[in-house]
Amino acid sequence: MNIVNRLGKICDTLGVNNKATYPVMLIALVKGICRPTFTMMDKTEKPETKKYTALREGLTEIIAIPTYWACGELTAKLASKFKFKKDMPADVQASLRKRASKNMMFIGVCVAALFVIPGLCSVAIKPIMDKFMPQNKPQKQPIKEPVTNTVPPTLKRPAMNTFFAGKNVVKPMVYNNRIPTGMKVGGV
Amino acid sequence: MIGMISRIVTSSPLTTMAESASTQVTCETTMKAIGRPGFILIDNNIDPDTKKYAAAKEFLYQATCLLLYAIFVVPLFKKGAFKVGKKIFKDHAADFAKFKNTEDYLRYRKYAEKPFYSDRIHNNKIDKLFNDELRTELKTKEHPRMFNRIKGTIELGNIIGSVLGLAVLAPQVSHAIIHPCLRAIGMEQKKPKTPKQQIDTKA
Repeated sequence: MNIVNRLGKICDTLGVNNKATYPVMLIALVKGICRPTFTMMDKTEKPETKKYTALREGLTEIIAIPTYWACGELTAKLASKFKFKKDMPADVQASLRKRASKNMMFIGVCVAALFVIPGLCSVAIKPIMDKFMPQNKPQKQPIKEPVTNTVPPTLKRPAMNTFFAGKNVVKPMVYNNRIPTGMKVGGV
Repeated sequence: MIGMISRIVTSSPLTTMAESASTQVTCETTMKAIGRPGFILIDNNIDPDTKKYAAAKEFLYQATCLLLYAIFVVPLFKKGAFKVGKKIFKDHAADFAKFKNTEDYLRYRKYAEKPFYSDRIHNNKIDKLFNDELRTELKTKEHPRMFNRIKGTIELGNIIGSVLGLAVLAPQVSHAIIHPCLRAIGMEQKKPKTPKQQIDTKA
């Protein structure tokens, strides 16, 4: 079988049933290979940072591929729960059910991208990264014990900004020839 | 309540969206652009500044992907696939010749997929939009031809374009765009250039 015939078969399959999970899973697969490769090729970053980033990007896509598939298939199965009018012909009901299944799969993929994959990544990636690259694990700092010494701190005497303040100031020697009695005039 | 949900889930606009690979990828990337930064911001184990930086970086990456996809991938691959298919699949050349381009085929498919035959019979738009052959197909047959090969060709083109655009091209382009954008909004500082040591030629 030549390439054109193979391509034709793929096109026929996609034409009959193009599931919402096909493109997103394929993109995740190629991203899972290409993004870490490009990161490792970056010459401006440190080797350890490159390894860490590449592993993280790869893990994100590894989680994304089965999640897209599971969410898409699970929500598509919910389509069987829908009830249609009883007077509706059986072939129209079958057609609507098929339509609902496709649309529910699309909704499932959107929900996976919005909530499930980011949630799973934030829960699962950190422990896996710590296991694979323990050197990047942040070291826990020892808890400092509170100081229990109750001795009050000695207060330093405030320096007074006056002329005679302080111990080392030499006071002028003044000879007093007056008897220290009676009234003083002048204040010496 | 279930009846209303059933009507929404089986509606034609949603079916058109769900069946097109380009719409699927656009919606998925938009959801990623909201979900991933959101989950980074609500993570309590990360330092607040790191959280803001990582969330902004992730949002910018997804926004770049979306922009690139809308500008480059959708117009080029969606339209290109129809032309390529016309040349490659010579055994289906007569089917391809019935339609002018991708839009023309997708318009036909939208009407052909309507589950109620009565929706097509009384539709005047069909008379204006399609040629005699396609009009007869839509108005006289309960199950008109779908031309699945054409639909598959368009979707395959979309998928190839999406993979090339989002997985190969987007990481390269975003690497060049993200850091200047982060610097512009004040979340990243420019690395100071280390002066080159001059070689002492006199020594």
